[in-house]
Amino acid sequence: MSTNTKRFKRQKDVRTGPPDAAGASIQVADRTPESAFTFEDRIPRGNVATVPLFELEKVGVTYSGNPAARDVDLVVPQHQITAFIGPSGCGKSTLLRCLNRMNDLIPGAQIQGKVTFAGQDLYDPTIDPVDVRRRIGMVFQKPNPFPKSIRENITFGMKVNGIKPTDELVEQALRAAAIWDEVKDRLDADAYSLSGGQQQRLCIARALAVNPDVLLMDEPCSALDPIATLAIEDLMVKLVDQYTIVIVTHNMQQAARVSDQTAFFTVDGMDQGLRYGTLVECAETKKIFTQPEDQRTEDYVTGRFG
Amino acid sequence: MTLTQETLGARPSVAPFAKKRHRPGDVVFHAVVLGAVIVAISSLIWVMWSIVKVGVPLIDWDFLAVNNGARPKTAGFTSALRGSLVVLLITMLVALPLGFGAAIYLEKFAVARQQVAARRAVLLRDRLANERGLARVGTSVRLIWARLVGPLNRFVDINISNLAAVPSVIYGLLGLAVFVTFAGLSESLLAGGLTLAMLVLPIIIISSREALKAVPSSIEQGALALGSTPWQAVRGQVVPAAIPGMLTGSILAMSRAIGESAPLIVVGGVVFSTHIPSVNPVNAGSEALLAMPLQIFFWAARPQESFRDLAAAGIVVLMIVLLLMNSVAIFLRNRYSKRW
Repeated sequence: MSTNTKRFKRQKDVRTGPPDAAGASIQVADRTPESAFTFEDRIPRGNVATVPLFELEKVGVTYSGNPAARDVDLVVPQHQITAFIGPSGCGKSTLLRCLNRMNDLIPGAQIQGKVTFAGQDLYDPTIDPVDVRRRIGMVFQKPNPFPKSIRENITFGMKVNGIKPTDELVEQALRAAAIWDEVKDRLDADAYSLSGGQQQRLCIARALAVNPDVLLMDEPCSALDPIATLAIEDLMVKLVDQYTIVIVTHNMQQAARVSDQTAFFTVDGMDQGLRYGTLVECAETKKIFTQPEDQRTEDYVTGRFG
Repeated sequence: MTLTQETLGARPSVAPFAKKRHRPGDVVFHAVVLGAVIVAISSLIWVMWSIVKVGVPLIDWDFLAVNNGARPKTAGFTSALRGSLVVLLITMLVALPLGFGAAIYLEKFAVARQQVAARRAVLLRDRLANERGLARVGTSVRLIWARLVGPLNRFVDINISNLAAVPSVIYGLLGLAVFVTFAGLSESLLAGGLTLAMLVLPIIIISSREALKAVPSSIEQGALALGSTPWQAVRGQVVPAAIPGMLTGSILAMSRAIGESAPLIVVGGVVFSTHIPSVNPVNAGSEALLAMPLQIFFWAARPQESFRDLAAAGIVVLMIVLLLMNSVAIFLRNRYSKRW
């Protein structure tokens, strides 16, 4: 029960005030990433109402005719963190890129099925994919700051979206991504002079600066050390009150620590000589990790997966 | 098997390493490649020295900016230097925007354009089945155009590399036919500059495309994920990241242009004019085509020793200009060397 009260207290901590409030400093002291995982390591969050934001119906993706993902039915609720987990090649990233039409940019990519965002068909031919990408931001696996100054990294997105880039807005974005204190004295320094973890938080700040509804994160911590990883995890929990977050991760502890809902994908179609991803199970994170319905999920989350 | 104290102790004794030995093949190879370097460098130095020795004493302010006569005493490089300057300026003004534009289109937009055209072709084909009369003709024309975009793009793509390998004399003939005769520009600095622009255009396109290709796609994707249009992503992030490379390639192409004599001879360059050409490129259409390589070529072909000495001086000036341009290119390359 003691954990419950602690959770409640932390929950209050986390949920008071907007993410750009002064509490940008990050607490990582009481969690050790290297130690064995228990479900109680979870970053606590209260129960949130489930309002569907993305609804996927029989969604599949093919690259030049080869299926990469098939028949995915999934609901991503608003103001929650949804984690996509699964082995390599199971279509997690592919599916994530369907959610903001980044797959449009890959020659030969084709999408089947229906993706709706707040009730609108995302692939309706009358919808502008540029606006889709503005409303649904993305953070990539490898930090990819623009080869310009820190300030220009933030202002580029504002400029292309017609937001006047004031110093206040720049500061607000950097504070929201919990990097303000580290860069406030060198906003005109080259973004490449930052460390990997700082670069990734700069990329998050850049995405937040255009005020999106959703943040898609494609393995955002895979290139980072455990400290930077924890910093970004804490940040996600802070941000989810204002945004909806979908994260692809190879790190099951990470999914367990931060997500409210987890979708487990696996590779299928081997018997037909194909290799595509399918959704096995999607449920509340605690359920996926403690009492999954499917044997494959249990094998994967307990580390018995082949 | 794990390595424990016992298993280590039980290992057989390790065989000693082979002794270093003399390998005659290595020595011969070393000597051959070193010899190649020495022959190349020393012949270059000898040529340079023989030119510099004769040429440098003749270079003074009068040679560069005043003299313009027909006799060895009064002959100078003034007209040629000014002519080359104007020709280079015209080449730059024409070839850089065209080359950069073509490179950006081919590297960043052609594929997307092809995809759009392919999708449109499918739509048009379906529509064609339900149409009659004049509408059918219109749709057919659009369908043919949509189907042509892909092959056209590929055709352009392949032929730009081919054009870069065409000998420069051929470009001279092109310039003579198109600019001098067809466009009626006569044998002017303008015609020469435009001819050289055609000559360096494929080189600029190819090197700019390489520079654009070297920018990681993650930068472009990051820009697009912020809700920028493809054009904003290319203009705002990809081109600024590639511009040092694009400029380096272009400067090297320009130094090729400034040293070219063959196309200018074909276009109808002159080697002597009592009139000193204006350096204002607006007047380039009415100035006779004079350029440094032409002047050197003419002097070197004269029987008099004194003219040959002048040729050496001209060569030194041309070489200094070339070295300056190349050092700007090297400076740009080092200053903005790749950061990703």
